[in-house]
Formats: sequence, structure tokens, C-alpha cells
Amino acid sequence: MHGDDGSVTHVIGIQLFSEANIDLSNVSYPVYKQQSSHRPSIQDLNSASHEHVPKIQSSDYCGILQLSDEVLAHNILSRLSPRDVASIGSVCTRMHELTKNDYLRKMVCQNAWGRDVTVRLEMSTKMLGWGRLARELTTLEAASWRKFTVGGRVEPSRCNFSACAVGNRLVLFGGEGVNMQPMDDTFVLNLESARPEWRRVKVSASPPGRWGHTLSWLNGSWLVVFGGCGQRGLLNDVFVLDLDAQQPTWREVASEGPPLPRSWHSSCTVDGSKLVVSGGCTESGVLLSDTFLLDLNKEKPAWREIPSSWSPPSRLGHTLSVYGTTKLFMFGGLAKSGSLRLRSSDAYTMDVGEDSPQWRQLATTGFPSVGPPPRLDHVAVSLPCGRIIIFGGSIAGLHSPAQLFLIDPGEEKPTWRILNVPGQPPKFAWGHSTCVVGGTRVLVLGGHTGEEWILNELHELCLASRPNEDDG
Amino acid sequence: MAAPESGDGNNGAARMVTLISSDNTRFEVEAAAASLSQTLQLTILDGGGGGGDGIPLPNVDSATLSKVLEYCIKHAPAAANGGAPNATAVDRAELERFDNEFVNIDQSVLYSLIMAAHNLEIEGLQSLVAKKVADMIKGKSPMEIRRTLGFPDPTPEEQAEMNAHMLEYGWAYE
Repeated sequence: MHGDDGSVTHVIGIQLFSEANIDLSNVSYPVYKQQSSHRPSIQDLNSASHEHVPKIQSSDYCGILQLSDEVLAHNILSRLSPRDVASIGSVCTRMHELTKNDYLRKMVCQNAWGRDVTVRLEMSTKMLGWGRLARELTTLEAASWRKFTVGGRVEPSRCNFSACAVGNRLVLFGGEGVNMQPMDDTFVLNLESARPEWRRVKVSASPPGRWGHTLSWLNGSWLVVFGGCGQRGLLNDVFVLDLDAQQPTWREVASEGPPLPRSWHSSCTVDGSKLVVSGGCTESGVLLSDTFLLDLNKEKPAWREIPSSWSPPSRLGHTLSVYGTTKLFMFGGLAKSGSLRLRSSDAYTMDVGEDSPQWRQLATTGFPSVGPPPRLDHVAVSLPCGRIIIFGGSIAGLHSPAQLFLIDPGEEKPTWRILNVPGQPPKFAWGHSTCVVGGTRVLVLGGHTGEEWILNELHELCLASRPNEDDG
Repeated sequence: MAAPESGDGNNGAARMVTLISSDNTRFEVEAAAASLSQTLQLTILDGGGGGGDGIPLPNVDSATLSKVLEYCIKHAPAAANGGAPNATAVDRAELERFDNEFVNIDQSVLYSLIMAAHNLEIEGLQSLVAKKVADMIKGKSPMEIRRTLGFPDPTPEEQAEMNAHMLEYGWAYE
């Protein structure tokens, strides 16, 4: 009754959901337009004969089935999780029909994953539909590795840059050029185009050149750079860029009370506006264990140190991932252990949405040998349902960086699982050169052959199938 | 024309309107409370429902309407403050307590309420009840949902069809 043909319907959905704080109960549900397209007047109330007039009958009476399709789908089913929708869709034919609608499925995905995530996934759903995407991202049944080549060049060649995704684009900033020259240029790879190629972004102002910094996607087309190692030592400055501005310009954010200058720290963004920075290495080579938060939405952003009564041992080269909207997941890195510095395989969590956020070590169950071996500068991918995939990095021992490890830190007893995926994985994958584009495409840049970084060869871990694209 | 407000205006006396349920029971209620219904608000702004006229609501029986009005009366002061930005934490906690208790009622009443709230366009009530019904579904297996919500037993054909759906949905339970 409403197949995959409704492209117009889909656009309506996108429009509605791009509004913040939209009240769903006022949105007419496209499928049920006949019932909901007009505001009932008193006359309607007087004369309307409703489809489902409650009538108490024999034992077959079922109250919920007396509700109209619109109220059921729009008000009740849209509040459920994918799993609950599966359950109620297995109860009777009418419920099953109601749960098949893609618009409802989108709302359900949004309930489970949050609006930020569904916005990022919008591109993938144009090909798959929300029902199939929810299934594939839950089971990871379609996950696979592929390799492809892109055009353009990133010149001069470099290493130790930072890459991040902005929607369906991959952005690269800075890095270490020849003779440890700190670079200050910005490149974009648009993965929406049929033949993606690297392009230098013409910016009218750039931050000082640097490497060992972090680059994070804020929201929309905004990016933020923090810290790193520049010409005159370590940095603790903050720059933002609107990639879609007519004249893109890196703008320094004057922020009070910045953390110590550092490099090889870890960053992530929460709520699309809050930059979180943790750990890293100071000028004198000391490892850090602090956690700072900067709300870039504020008129005068001020750094706030999160005063956790306990902190994970100081470290660099770890990852910070966001799950469950406001929760942080820290993993691995090179951590201080007594007088030594060792690769770590420890995981920690913190909920920055709490009044006084605290770091806690994540106790995992199962055999310790199943979890990821200790590593640094690895990759952490946040999945929409709050799970996290770890792979790559510099690993102790002879373990393969291609092995994928999956954990759900929100579970009562989180357990590491190994995820086996077909296709050709990259030989190396580093955290600073890997990012998730469009919510489902984990792109691993180059890897090096000797001295050179090859940025035209990409490996992709596809988390969902891409029926419209050749695996060229 | 100014929207009717409770308390002030009209020489200190709040404007009252009369609503008539499907079983011909008359309910006299402050206009501010009835105006929580977007549908009624338009009529009330046009001066309807006053005097001996009354607004007939043929789709809402008296039991449901009295429950609807109980909600509206409780929520009217906060709604008049424009979502109560200046409400105290105590006020908010009191409303929350009221809401929790309000939906602690028989299922059949919940369904009548949500349809009434839908037809009368009372957003807050509609989402309050919808949330309650959704909560009754959450975390349950198909069998448990059937029992809880009183679905009729499926015919053998329906059961076969449902088994197929459950296979199709199997992934959601991982």
C-alpha cells in the first residue's frame, strides 16, 4: 500500500525532521492524509462518523484496535524501539501493515538512535529505506571491506594529518610535511560525486600549520580544530570552519581557560556543539589525563575541565567515541603504567549529561582474550544503536589490525565480540586518518608504503549495503 | 481579541463555557481550560459556548469528557503561562505527579481518552496517553503484547502469517 516509490513523501519527512523541537503530533502523517490533512472543526466533530467507534462486544473486544491508523502509527508506534515495533508487528495483520511504513520506521530509528544520527544516515536511506538500514546496522550482516581509488592529489605529501567526515564529504587538515614541516592546508574529498577527487579548499585564512591535532565535525558544515604541534611548539588554540561558506575562512575561537597545549590527544563532539578533549602529550613529554569541554554554541565559549574524582591513567593516542547521545567511551592509547608507558586495552565511560560526570572503568565480561589487544592510534567507530567497533592502530604483538571488535557499552554486562567481515581489509588503519562518512561508510585513508602516504587509495568498511553502486 | 485568561480580566470572574457530551451531560468549565483544545479554542475565541448554548461534542461520552476536563483544568494555569517558563520546580513536580496518576487507569479509558484528545487536539493529553500506551508495549514479546492488550486469538492462517513476520523480524531481537 505504500511501497518504496514515495520519493516525495520522503522529502517531506526530511524537511520535517530538520526542524528542531518539532512536535510530531502536529505533523500530518502522509500516508493517512485523508484523515489528517484538515483541522477538524466543530462541525466535523459533530458529523464525523469515525472508522473505529468503540463498541464493547464479546470476548473479542480489543481496545487498542479501536484506535484509528493515524493515532496508532503516529502517536503510539512511533514511540517504540525497533525491537518493540518488530514485536507488535508480529501480533496481527493490521499492526504488521502499520509497521511497514518507512516514515514510521524512520521515527523509530530516531527514537533509538537520536536525531543527530538519523540526519547523518539520510543519504544511505535513500537507497535502502529505513527498515532495511535499521536491520543492516543492527545485524551488520551486510558489512564488507572494499578498496577504491580516488582522483586529485593532496600535495605536498604528508603524514600525521587529521581527517574527519562532514556529511558525505571527507575533510583533511594539516599534517607533517617533509622535514617535519607543519602544514596548514585543507582538502576535501566529496564522496557523493561519481568520481570523487581530492580538492584543496580555498580558505581566506588558515590556522597555524600543525600535526598531531584533532579535527572534528560539529554539525551542518562546521568543523573544529584543536591543538597539535606547530612551528613554535605545541598548541591549545581552537579554530572553526564553515565548509559551505561562500568564502570558507578558518576563524579562531577566543576561548577562556584553555587546557594545556598538547598533541596526540583525543577529541569528540557531543550535541553537535560541545568539543571534548582528553589526554595527550605536553611540550615536556608528560602524558595528560584531564578532560575538558568547550561549548561552541555559547556566545563566549569557555573551557570547562570536567572534575572527575577519578580519571583513567594519563595517555595519548586513545579514542573518544560518543554513544547514547551524551556518553563518552574511551579506549586504548599509550598509557602511563607506573614508570612505564604501555599500550592499553582498557575502556572507560563517562556521561557528560550528568550533573557531575565521572570516568568509570568499563568492566567487560567474557574471556579477556576475546577483547581487542592493547593498541594506540586505532580507529573507533560509533554505530547508530550505541555500539562501537574498534580496529587498527599500533598493536602490541602479532595481532592483525584488520580484526574488528564490537562492544555495546550500554549493555548491563558489556561483552567484546569479534566481527568477521568479507572483503580485503587495509594493512594498516590509523585513527587520525580514518572517519565515518554518511554514518555507514568507514573510510581508511592510504596507509604508508615506506615514507609515502598514498591518499588516493582508500579502504572502506561498508556497514550497510549499497545496492546502487558498483564495487569497482 | 485577546485570548481568554484565567483569573484576571472579565472583572475578576473567569469566563465559563459549557460543553455537552454525547450522552447530553453538560459540563461548565473555565474557557481557559477548554481552550487547551485547539479545536475548541477557535470556537471559544469566536464567542461560542457561552450563555445557555453550549458546545456539543457528540463523539465524547461524559465519562471520557470529565476525565479530559480534569486534565485541562489541572494544566490550564501552566498553559496560560506559555508553557510555564517561570513555573517553580515544585509546580512542575506536582504536574508530573498528577500526570503519572492520571494515566494510571483502565486501558479502555486510555483508548477513549487518546481518541478524544486527538479529535479535540489537546497535544499534551494526547502525548501523555500515547506514551502510556507505548510503555505498555515496550520490552514485551508478541505473545505478551497480545495478552496485555487483549488482542483476539489469531486464526490458524493468521498465526502462520505472523510466524513468517516474526522470522522476518528476527534480527530485531539480537
